[in-house]
Amino acid sequence: MLDLIIRNGLVVDGTGLPAYRADVAVAGGRIRRIGQVNEPAHREINAEGLAVAPGFIDPHTHFDAQILWDAHAKPALAHGVTTIVPGNCSLSLAPLKAKHRNKLVGMFNQIEEMPLKAFEVGVQWNWESFEDYLARLAEDLAINVAPLVGHSLLRLWVMDDAATQRSATDAEVGAMQALLRRCLEAGAVGLSTSFVDVDERLRPVPSRFADFRELDALASVLSEFGRMLQVVPEFYDTDLNIARVDQLAELSLKHGIPTTFSPLFVSSDQRIDAERVMARVGEQFARGARVWPQVQTRPIDISFSFAVPSLLFIRLPSWYRVMRFGSHEEIVAAFRNPDSRRQMVAEAASMPDLWPGLRLRQAQSEANRPLVGKTLAEIAELRQSTPVESMIDLSLEEDLDAHFLSADMAHNDDARVGGLLAHPQVHVGASDGGAHILSFSTYGDTGYLFSRFVRETGALSLEGAVKKITSDTASIWGLGDRGLLQSGCAADIAIFDPTAIDRGEEYAARDVPGDGSRYVRDAKGIDTVIVGGEVAWSAADGYTDARRGALLPGAAS
Amino acid sequence: MASTNSTDPIPARRSISPQDGDDWASIAARELRGTPAEEAVNLLQSWNLHVFMRPAADSAGQGNPILPSDIIFVEPPPAERP
Repeated sequence: MLDLIIRNGLVVDGTGLPAYRADVAVAGGRIRRIGQVNEPAHREINAEGLAVAPGFIDPHTHFDAQILWDAHAKPALAHGVTTIVPGNCSLSLAPLKAKHRNKLVGMFNQIEEMPLKAFEVGVQWNWESFEDYLARLAEDLAINVAPLVGHSLLRLWVMDDAATQRSATDAEVGAMQALLRRCLEAGAVGLSTSFVDVDERLRPVPSRFADFRELDALASVLSEFGRMLQVVPEFYDTDLNIARVDQLAELSLKHGIPTTFSPLFVSSDQRIDAERVMARVGEQFARGARVWPQVQTRPIDISFSFAVPSLLFIRLPSWYRVMRFGSHEEIVAAFRNPDSRRQMVAEAASMPDLWPGLRLRQAQSEANRPLVGKTLAEIAELRQSTPVESMIDLSLEEDLDAHFLSADMAHNDDARVGGLLAHPQVHVGASDGGAHILSFSTYGDTGYLFSRFVRETGALSLEGAVKKITSDTASIWGLGDRGLLQSGCAADIAIFDPTAIDRGEEYAARDVPGDGSRYVRDAKGIDTVIVGGEVAWSAADGYTDARRGALLPGAAS
Repeated sequence: MASTNSTDPIPARRSISPQDGDDWASIAARELRGTPAEEAVNLLQSWNLHVFMRPAADSAGQGNPILPSDIIFVEPPPAERP
């Protein structure tokens, strides 16, 4: 007796080969047969008119904390994502000594814009080692998790305060190697590091104090397991990005490891020449290196209010300082004080193209609600003011609860982005799932891939797009039996309508521990999501009680 | 790390990783031999604004803004090369 049969679907098996009509039989958490299935099953799903594909894999997320209070990583699972990779950008939740917890939460708050309150209310810290963290995760998982180890945490564990002061000694590097080895043995999928991020005091994160000797030593440990090195490069500068590509290629060739950097953006002002970066990537692949750029599908939208710090303002010190370190009253005072206000307005002049196109997204007062949806240029005209002055005035009138949206800021040239996404040496990812929760929705990038770049622009075929976010990702990350619909593979499956799959409209959901909000997007066109052979979400019934999520790649044998 | 590998298919913009204790003067002396010291430091700083102009908090402190993980370019951007 089979557990499940998915009948009459269009099988898009993840290889990139043409789709075909067949039944998919599942038993014991694995795909048993694809073809005409005549055996009985405990459950049948009629997939007539729907695509049946491997579950999608999201290689760049920050679900580290959320997965502790939300076993489904909502709403990623409902978008067809069956495997997530947390622990990117040098930050993971383990290995972590108790004395460093506040430091780590501060970094998550600063870098990934995750509220402190969510950690206070939602995370019960009962681990220090990576092994114990994995054991905690395994207690309640509806989605597969392939966790990275954060380089900054290795440094904190071994060096304490010196982690943010200096290079490591040979003995300290050796201790970090031993610690990383333990994490990889326990089941970490690789190591992440960052060359750009700053901590809660706006000082470089620990990983930025590592010299190349240290990174090389850690890469040598990755080579023992064939595991991934993920980095955040100086993505805002082409020459720096290329220099990091060369650095990663050197590590990849020397140690025989895969590497990936994220993000690679398309910029309309050519500050980032993605094509030149890709040319270098191609040359390094030709040498035999594996340096995978991660490209996100969605354009960059950023929402903000002045009630919480927004990275949109990080290049404007007089704004960001008060947003990051000031109380509510101090921010209001800074806007009211003529001197500080003058300084802020003058500083904002360095980004003249940004302000006029910002839209008022949300306002509480009766007086300002009619302005919702208008641009700051339109509001400024109505008020006989300037966009920046109008933004400040609206924020004061709304007691900082005016929300603004900067839509389509960058990465919005469909032809260039589509070309990148279809490129064989590009890895589709960089969603940042679970992070930046009050700046933008990090969910629905997979639906957007199909709606925009398969159906609208035709940059990829249906089969090509599925391959990009399933078997390509599994191969790049060494996730053995995932990413393919083939007999014997794990039964992680997304069933969807290829003519309708998309991301829904962005909206604020109040579902963050500590009574917090976040921006999310619901899935469109997804019918059923199966993890480990059981239905984890369906359009008809929503999230289920199935808990078949696995830790990937699993402990090293 | 040594300078960018000379076997690369096309020349990249030449860069180095800092050595332990490096500052602008030591890098200039090592990488821009033959250029007067002050001029060499000025050139290096102008080619590395991502480090030289970095906000004070976003640096190693103690008067040396260079971080061990930084990329330091030792030649100008392609557009400025003779």
